[in-house]
Amino acid sequence: MSGPAFQVRKCDVLILGSGGAGLLAALAAYEADPALDILIAVKGLFGKSGCTRMVQGGYNVALSAGDSVENHFMDTVRAGAWLNDQDLAWELVSRAPGCIRRLETVCGAFFDRSSDGKIHQKAFAGQSFDRTVHKGDLTGIELTNRVSEQIVRRGIPVLEERRAITLLPVPGADGRIAGAMLLDIRSGDFTAVNAKCTLLATGGGPTFYKYSACAQELATDGMAMAWEAGVDFCDMEMVQFHPTGILTGEGLQITGTLLEEGLRGVGGHLLNGRGERYMERYDPERMERSTRDLVARAGYTEIREGRGTGNGGVFIDVSHLGADFVRKNFKGMVDRCADLGFDLAGAPVEVTPTAHYMMGGAKIDTGCRTSLPGLFAAGEDAGGTHGANRLGGNGVANSTVFGEVAGREMAAGAGGAPLEGFDSGTAEASVAEALGALDVDTPGVDAPGEEDSPYSVRASLKELMWEKIGLRRNGADLAAGLGEIASLGERAARVRAGGGRAYNIAWQNVLDVRNQITVAELIARSAIERDESRGSHYRDDIPESKEDALYNVFISKRSGEAVIERRPVRFTRVKPGGEIASAAEPVNFVD
Amino acid sequence: MVAGGVIIRVRRGGAADDPEERHQTYAIAPRPRMTVLDALTAIQSELDPSLGFRYSCRVGMCGTCALRVNGRPRWACRTLIEGLGESVTLEPLVNFPVLRDLAVDMTPFLDKMSRARAWAEPTEAAASAPVELSPDSRQRVRIDPHIECITCGICYSACGMAAHDPDFLGPAALNRAYTLVCDSRDAAGGERLAEVADEHGIWRCHSQFNCTEACPKGISPATAIQALKRRAAASGAKSFVASIIGGLAPGG
Repeated sequence: MSGPAFQVRKCDVLILGSGGAGLLAALAAYEADPALDILIAVKGLFGKSGCTRMVQGGYNVALSAGDSVENHFMDTVRAGAWLNDQDLAWELVSRAPGCIRRLETVCGAFFDRSSDGKIHQKAFAGQSFDRTVHKGDLTGIELTNRVSEQIVRRGIPVLEERRAITLLPVPGADGRIAGAMLLDIRSGDFTAVNAKCTLLATGGGPTFYKYSACAQELATDGMAMAWEAGVDFCDMEMVQFHPTGILTGEGLQITGTLLEEGLRGVGGHLLNGRGERYMERYDPERMERSTRDLVARAGYTEIREGRGTGNGGVFIDVSHLGADFVRKNFKGMVDRCADLGFDLAGAPVEVTPTAHYMMGGAKIDTGCRTSLPGLFAAGEDAGGTHGANRLGGNGVANSTVFGEVAGREMAAGAGGAPLEGFDSGTAEASVAEALGALDVDTPGVDAPGEEDSPYSVRASLKELMWEKIGLRRNGADLAAGLGEIASLGERAARVRAGGGRAYNIAWQNVLDVRNQITVAELIARSAIERDESRGSHYRDDIPESKEDALYNVFISKRSGEAVIERRPVRFTRVKPGGEIASAAEPVNFVD
Repeated sequence: MVAGGVIIRVRRGGAADDPEERHQTYAIAPRPRMTVLDALTAIQSELDPSLGFRYSCRVGMCGTCALRVNGRPRWACRTLIEGLGESVTLEPLVNFPVLRDLAVDMTPFLDKMSRARAWAEPTEAAASAPVELSPDSRQRVRIDPHIECITCGICYSACGMAAHDPDFLGPAALNRAYTLVCDSRDAAGGERLAEVADEHGIWRCHSQFNCTEACPKGISPATAIQALKRRAAASGAKSFVASIIGGLAPGG
């Protein structure tokens, strides 16, 4: 190669991602200090990459008289089966009112109103109060559109179709992060961005399951980079499956995308292939309005035990609610079904449980700091807030609230601080490794003499994760699965993409599947460590929960080896079974 | 479903580093409920890894998979192969620079959103707290049918005037401007109206309704533009008068 392997660009704050976390971080950092040099880099198109855009149902926030942040907190930790980092959960619920206010007052969002003109809040599963703010059934569009516009208005620079591939440490061994190596997907060129503060806001996205709800360019890039850099992780065994991913056929792109939770909230029925409302056998009291983990597992069990539909799914049926009601309240869902030839308002639609969200991630403190100085994480890249199970509606609250927190913290940290250089050896190795996934002499995916492809490796990974490290687990499967992940890792290390560097999708897919395998292994290792069933982690061989000594599973890399550790849960605000009383006055729109 | 297979003709080239435009054909075995996006991913992963296209959410929320299917701009992810015929032609959106095959550069389109000041500029009252506003209020009844635009670019590709006048603001930018002009929470109404009432703005629209017909969200930008014209005319703003004179000037 002629010329330097990479360009260098300097900035104060580097934000990786433009979903809820990245957008709000950029806005908050700018508002805190407009003089900062902020740079956003996003793998796809600005504001259109990742899962915040795909949010349907809405945003949990205590706004109404009769509700309280304390109630929201209790619902969050109960759903989390008491594994939540309670300080993070408190940050979430107590900052959400201020955040939703700013989405309207600063960004001009307009969420649905009740007839009295106040912000409407709807019912979501597992909550003691109707507190889910929404914009119809496609809330994420309003949210990302309005915040993106404000980023453009402020002239904050954005690099589109630039993926981060490696976090760059400062020279020496203290672990401080000083930016990231970016790969321009369009040109295939590399830029080392040297930053005082770097935010991981790339989204999680368990896209390595057979059925997955997430945006498909997501490949857990942020977590994989963080792991390689030495960041500590928590709760990685906790993967949320949503009960109702649309099912048009295995391997078809739209399969696994969601039909929203609100359909069950308003009284939709789930039916197996025999037409039975099977939730009667799993949670006769709450039926379809039971928590996500339970409903998803029930559907999975029905399918696995031969009571599924012809395509290997179950049905969601809302036709008894009246076609007009369904069309009015779930227009987005009705439209997408209609495009596929389904009449959601009038007939059952086939669905499958689908991998949706990772509760685990980089361990952060309440300022979004990871275990490495200079590196922050927000949104799905970070773990701890949700414990063992995330409430529907707490996902977008989490990404936006912690995006703001990270933005303010980074602005405070970057202002006036000196910029430290990055380790050139790491940067050079990063470029060499990425280019090593490319075989420029062949036009096809496979290098000469090889018959593998990133698609084949990914298909194997998806099947393996679904079968062995999915909704129902056991010790033998987990151990076997970990071994198979290692084999897939070897395949992924060998596979090459042919063709040139510019806009080479196959090359990007090689890099993607390597990251997916890195993170899949963290899930497998953490799941093996948890010898009980809790929240989203269910083991057929140990179906009971062990309530006497609650712990979080931490995983870190030490001297190149994965080290697993159980740490007792710190009940900093309330002990299991306890309550915290609501404040006498409802606290609205606090910061 | 077509029994024997479907031929997918893909327009390739047209990019700065691959200028030669050509069509390449691929034969795929259709499956029930297969979409155009499924066809593209199958081609890319099984037949031709060099094919360039773009997608993210795969369910009509991000809009990044927009392209032309048999000449008509559509989302790849929500368009079933079934019913398109035995030969399906896929081409990039028009009025956008091509980056690679079917993936286009949205920058010029988004720059026009900026020219239309397509962002909220809240009034003092709106900046202090969420405004209480009935969903049945006149402004919300006007705004709501236009607000869920995902800026996928389909309207802009369908717009004859965007092809004729490269500086025309286009349907999406004007649609967003309309929602802001109607919004009592926004402070920039008059200025924004002036911005969009210039010679490359609302008066360029000839009300062909191609944008409205093409919009997969059921939004009618053409209606929004008509409403902006009425407001601009009613306002009698100086800028409006100037724009008419400018717009009618020879060669203008």
